[in-house]
Amino acid sequence: MGFLEGRVACVTGGTRGIGFAIAKAFQREGADVVINGRDPAKGAQAVEELSRSGDGGAVAFVAGDVKLRSDCEAVVAKTVERFGRIDILVPNAGGGSNYAPVVDMTDEAMAEALDWSFWHTFWTVRAALKHMIPNGWGRIIAMSSVEGKMGKPGIASYVVAKHAVCGLTKSVAREVGTMGITVNALCPGAIETDEMRAQGPSAAESMGITYDELLQTFANESAIKRLNEVEDVAAVALLLASDAGAGITGSLISIDGGTSPY
Amino acid sequence: MGKLDGKVACVTGGTRSIGRAIADAFLAEGASVVVNGRDQAKGQRCLDEMGAGDRAAFFAGDARKQEDVEGLIDFAVQHFGHLDICCLNSGGVEATAPVASMSDEEWKLEMDWNINHVFWGMRKSLQHMIPRQAGRIIVTSSVEGKLGKPGLAGYVTGKHAVNGLVKTAAKEVGTLGITVNALLPGIIETDIVRETGPASAQAMGLESYDAMIGLFCQESSIKRPNRVEEVAAVAVLLASDAGRNMTGCLFPIDGGTMPY
Repeated sequence: MGFLEGRVACVTGGTRGIGFAIAKAFQREGADVVINGRDPAKGAQAVEELSRSGDGGAVAFVAGDVKLRSDCEAVVAKTVERFGRIDILVPNAGGGSNYAPVVDMTDEAMAEALDWSFWHTFWTVRAALKHMIPNGWGRIIAMSSVEGKMGKPGIASYVVAKHAVCGLTKSVAREVGTMGITVNALCPGAIETDEMRAQGPSAAESMGITYDELLQTFANESAIKRLNEVEDVAAVALLLASDAGAGITGSLISIDGGTSPY
Repeated sequence: MGKLDGKVACVTGGTRSIGRAIADAFLAEGASVVVNGRDQAKGQRCLDEMGAGDRAAFFAGDARKQEDVEGLIDFAVQHFGHLDICCLNSGGVEATAPVASMSDEEWKLEMDWNINHVFWGMRKSLQHMIPRQAGRIIVTSSVEGKLGKPGLAGYVTGKHAVNGLVKTAAKEVGTLGITVNALLPGIIETDIVRETGPASAQAMGLESYDAMIGLFCQESSIKRPNRVEEVAAVAVLLASDAGRNMTGCLFPIDGGTMPY
């Protein structure tokens, strides 16, 4: 029997990459899981893949664009509608595009990064807390980044949004600390996910380097001199979601191979 | 099947409290464990309680003495054939005092216990782990490794120092299959806290032991002490294969106390 049996989780950006790995880890431990993404075809494929083994919890897909408040609120509402509750929220989606040094950055690029990482986290957290607080139990596992603790030239919009996620995490943790709800942020190093392959070239160009050089830069900054993997992040999410995670809150947990200085 | 089947671990200060919880969790995941403590009788009682048969062993030694710490590593390697996971967990204070009235003897004891013990154990373990290109070093630091508290200068200094050691060693062995991390628990009402707490409370200018526990709880978000099982769960994660890409990490288990 899995240790998340009877729990209900919601993972945004859950059809691929880190989100999919977390959804899979939760489902294997018995949780019922809602995964969200924009593309119903990818959603159906992910649900099929997660359900294939026949073991673990149930899985459902909810389509929605996390850059929109209405979709964020709907993902939480549909999780509760489908499975009767929401115990674990992982606002995992995030990113940016049209990266540029601040001197040339457009309002649109900054706004998009904030909507995608920060506002989406705020909207889903606020909506989920309305269910978790009366239940007296909850786990919020936000997705920050090594760039939520550090800075990198050329990707200020991403860095700003991920730092904001960390600030939100620390504040909410103190608001709900005595209510059985923990709020933490994961800060992974670079991982070569589909999303990284999609967004990386623009980020690299803004930094004046190639995509391969971008990946190498991240590896060089770490102690392990290689990129992280999605399973590394899922293992920490699983710990935080478990009963043993009850004593950890307001933490910004580095899963970055020894990159961040704190 | 456990997450640590076939692995060998040692834990300083492993007969009670946090160290004991880590040892128990490692045993439950299939590892063999050498627990260390000063008292042979307590060690034997610990082994009896664990009931793990050949998979558990006790090594009597004082974590404040270099030969004892190095002897523990040698013993673990000799007894079980190798060492995969070294938990440098022991630490504490005796007659602590505000800096202005701290004795040289107490200061030296606190440095030996909280930082030198970790250095001795880490160095010796790395000499064994580097040729094997595999290993996990897990140091028990503290919330006081990032914060400061009046009256606890030696402890705070020692725990800050081990954080620096962890970050440095992590970078030295990052490509050698070895991770080096620190656990930073908040206050836990362990046996040792109950024993030394009243004196610490006095050094901190507080009226009672309960006032000290209350102060730590008040600083947290969860407004309660942490539990040893919460720390042990993180130790298992770091020791397991899933922890292979986490290193140089100062892992908070403090109920939302530290600001960073």
